[in-house]
Amino acid sequence: MQRRKFVRILLSVAAAPRMLFGQQQGKQPLPAAAPVPWSAGINPRTPLPTTEAADLVAIADLKFFTPAQMRNLQRLSRVMMPALNGKPGAIEANTPEFLDFLLAGSLPDRQKLYAGGLDWLNSEAQKKYKLDLFALTDDQVDSLVKPWLRTWMSDNPPTEAHADFVNIALDEIRMATTNSKAWSQTPGTPAGEWGQTDVYWTPIESNLAFVLSKQSHLVQPHVAAAQAPATPIYKR
Amino acid sequence: MANEVFDVLIVGSGHAGGMAAKVLTEAGASCLMLNAGPVADANRNGERKHAYDLPYRGFHPPQQVPHVFQATEFNANVWVDEREVPYTYDPSQPYNWVRVRLFGGRSLFWSRQSFRLSDYEFKGKSHDGFGEDWPISLADLDPYYSRVEDIFQVSGKKEGWPQMPDGNFIEDPDVWSGSLDRLKTAAAKLNIPVTGQRRANGRDGLASSVNLLLPDAEKTKKLTSIANAVVREISVDKNTGLPDGCHFVDRFTGREMSVKARIVVLAAGTLESTRLLLNSKLANSSGLVGRYLMDQIYGAGITCSVPEARGGNAKGLMGGGAIIPRFRNITDKSPNFLRGYAMNIWSSGGGMDARCFAAYGAELEQKMADYSGSGFHFGLMGEVLGRYENHVRIDPVKTDAWGIPALHIATNYTDNEFNMAKDAVATASQVAEAAGFEVLRKNVMPNPPGYSIHEVGTCRMGDDQKKSVLNKWNQSHDHKNLFVMDGAGFTSAGWQNPTMTILALSMRASEHLAEERKKLNI
Repeated sequence: MQRRKFVRILLSVAAAPRMLFGQQQGKQPLPAAAPVPWSAGINPRTPLPTTEAADLVAIADLKFFTPAQMRNLQRLSRVMMPALNGKPGAIEANTPEFLDFLLAGSLPDRQKLYAGGLDWLNSEAQKKYKLDLFALTDDQVDSLVKPWLRTWMSDNPPTEAHADFVNIALDEIRMATTNSKAWSQTPGTPAGEWGQTDVYWTPIESNLAFVLSKQSHLVQPHVAAAQAPATPIYKR
Repeated sequence: MANEVFDVLIVGSGHAGGMAAKVLTEAGASCLMLNAGPVADANRNGERKHAYDLPYRGFHPPQQVPHVFQATEFNANVWVDEREVPYTYDPSQPYNWVRVRLFGGRSLFWSRQSFRLSDYEFKGKSHDGFGEDWPISLADLDPYYSRVEDIFQVSGKKEGWPQMPDGNFIEDPDVWSGSLDRLKTAAAKLNIPVTGQRRANGRDGLASSVNLLLPDAEKTKKLTSIANAVVREISVDKNTGLPDGCHFVDRFTGREMSVKARIVVLAAGTLESTRLLLNSKLANSSGLVGRYLMDQIYGAGITCSVPEARGGNAKGLMGGGAIIPRFRNITDKSPNFLRGYAMNIWSSGGGMDARCFAAYGAELEQKMADYSGSGFHFGLMGEVLGRYENHVRIDPVKTDAWGIPALHIATNYTDNEFNMAKDAVATASQVAEAAGFEVLRKNVMPNPPGYSIHEVGTCRMGDDQKKSVLNKWNQSHDHKNLFVMDGAGFTSAGWQNPTMTILALSMRASEHLAEERKKLNI
């Protein structure tokens, strides 16, 4: 009994300075951290922030086309993929601006196809109508473009001069438009034309993020040694 | 562990490597498998997305995989990045080298068409005088094909045609629609055979080494695997001159490492195995390592519309697929080309490809609406002849991301292939029109070599070691403990998807290797 009393006194003496210190600081002892990770707070009661596709909101700087080429591409896009049946067209989907972004990073033969094709089409407009392409009526654009339309199978676009540009541009203006957010989120679907949805594979333990980021100070030397493919060929 | 000498080193984890690992570990051999890429987990690495949520709206990320026509932005990251592992060719000879370095390799993504070669391929020279016969016949491979077909659950219909040997099939689950019936009737009048597709059903829609072969090997506890191990060269014992392992580099850290093994099996895919042999300066007393690169011509074909299916009438009339097997140069002789081709056929009740119509704007939308649900397609698969001049070699300058010399590919299609494509398109059009279909578009120009992803040859097998690299057991003539078990050993390409043959050859060679090991012959 006496021993138990002695131990109780000893403990209270040992605890006293700590209790007094706590009182001096105006704080209670901290409770143990809850055994719940912060990520558990991300749940249906806390929906994730919603974001918007940047090119629906912002204007991108031209990276590839000249202003004149862009005006002509916009004219061509409006004729080839107009807004129809309640669905947005290429202009509403910002397709010309997207193609400028895509082509800025594309291989040289692809860039040449578009830049050369637009310049050729503009020269045809000048020859026939003494106007730039962007100033032509729909019928006038049709008269320049339709003779070059061909049917073709995927991966095998026409190879004859001018038909190559016209048909590849048409194909890509359509794809960029039907895969846009503006198109996908507008009700009403023409036959067989849905915005593409699929399983996206993230980079799988790739070390190429360094290369793609173009942060040269982060590029590992052995990766920096890798160069672009030898010979570009057509592929979207 | 670090000093362990394995019985067998297997480079590559696709169908060929997976089969070797299964057979050899089950026979008691300790195996080390090296794979140049990571393990992919569709649940971890895949996420369903809209194209508009991706930076390039579904287009190829520029320059990442410009030669992989099969790639989209959705799957661009599963293919080998051409900036990381480049290759070269002359601009006049474009080549599409389509590669996957994930564990399981291309076995994760193949079309699953499953055919045996026939003796028209194994003994092609005896039939038409071109090239070389294989050192084996269908009879030699028949029991292995049967076991492979069982593992891969191949479905099909037995027809008894010598140019398309029957197999150990499960029941064909495919739809056989009215449009296919019409096509078959029209083709029969021209003596052209048509049958259902032969396809590996695998398990849960996957017919890969990852789900059908490697799990069996792992069960034995005899398989050790390393991911992201990029093999630089095969090492050689200085005393015996025999391969004794390899040097490899860790893909991420660049750490150089070595492993030892008594036997080396290359199964890295036709051109990677050959690149490794060339970089290691092995197995080439014949001078033929890299020679006789072959594949199949793809890309030529036609697209039709079945008029009665338009306007929402596709039900029962459309859907399903079929195949026209080789029919040229079997009993007759074509004046314009040797060997033959097959045609894949598929009937589609979905939307039409806009490229079927030379139109845009409202006119195009109207045509697509009118023709919707009526698509009928023919696609060519034609044999490419094995020619000495079609070859690969080591590029003297270009290297990959780890400083390993890159491959230079020099191959061309010739008039034999171009004439074959023209014949196929003309024949398809004739059959389609006889069936009452409207032909909307035609293409006679094959895609660049390599596109079919069926590259074979470059280490061909044969009995004469001056004319071949491997013997009939996929074993190097020069080094008895070195085997090449992928498509590199093919003596001819055939029109058939090579996967079943690669699997059967790998099974046969691995069983032979296991037997010889027991007898202490290797």
